[in-house]
Amino acid sequence: MNGWLLAATVSLAGGLGAALWGVATGPLRRRVVAQNLSTALACPGLLLLSQAYGRPSYVDLGLVLALLGPVGTLVFARLLADELAEDPPRAWGLTWTVAGLGAAAVTALCVATGPSRAMVKLLVVGALLISGNVIASRALSGGFRGVRGG
Amino acid sequence: MTPRTALLAAAELMGWWVALALLWLVLISTVDTLELAVGAASALVGALAARAARRAVTGS
Amino acid sequence: MADAVIVVALLLVAASATVAVATRDPMRQALVLAVLGVVLAVLFTVLQAPDVGLSQLAVGSALTPLLLMLAVRKIRRRGREKEGER
Repeated sequence: MNGWLLAATVSLAGGLGAALWGVATGPLRRRVVAQNLSTALACPGLLLLSQAYGRPSYVDLGLVLALLGPVGTLVFARLLADELAEDPPRAWGLTWTVAGLGAAAVTALCVATGPSRAMVKLLVVGALLISGNVIASRALSGGFRGVRGG
Repeated sequence: MTPRTALLAAAELMGWWVALALLWLVLISTVDTLELAVGAASALVGALAARAARRAVTGS
Repeated sequence: MADAVIVVALLLVAASATVAVATRDPMRQALVLAVLGVVLAVLFTVLQAPDVGLSQLAVGSALTPLLLMLAVRKIRRRGREKEGER
């Protein structure tokens, strides 16, 4: 049995299942946080899948998701700003927990890869994932209220 | 443009170019001459765009 | 074992698509659609089609929600202007 595939299955089922539950029920502030965390949880899953299948080129999927996921959340943060201003979401504990999970997955993959160019690529993906996620969380909770162009 | 500002601009472009070329080098799968040439060229274009964007944001 | 992850991805796609259909408010539907796009990309990856997954990620995670939200905003603004004319 492939341990990486098992880890990917468990993280995808648990993470995306919880994110789907969060986005399907509850008030609007909970739904936007769940949407933000769904991309942050899917990205480590994709990285683990690439290791499980032994195809380093699958890491590109994680890279694209780490770049575009926060962009999608920023779209919601900008266009739902009026609704969210009355009832701003505060989920810093959850955000940092998910960021820690992503960091743990990236660290495990780096150890498995060994020092090489592929490891640097994984580290770039991890840094993009965590920083993009924290920025998107801050935008959702109204941290960039002063930036309102257009 | 005084020599001092020209030197500063060249240094900034060089910094962007090095960072973007390193990023390209990390993200490609196989390293060969063609990849390196394309990477250097696109890093130059990216450095020009990055400097223009930085000047537009900071307004200097 | 390789089938388990496919089953999980298929179940997630079925569940999120059902939720997207069952949600009435278009804004919340856009949020569910963003999650559906990510889950579909995972399904394509699991079925060994990462190129399809890449384009699905590009379209599904940012572009579809943006189009939906802009359309909803425009319709609401136009409706408010009509209310003001009356």
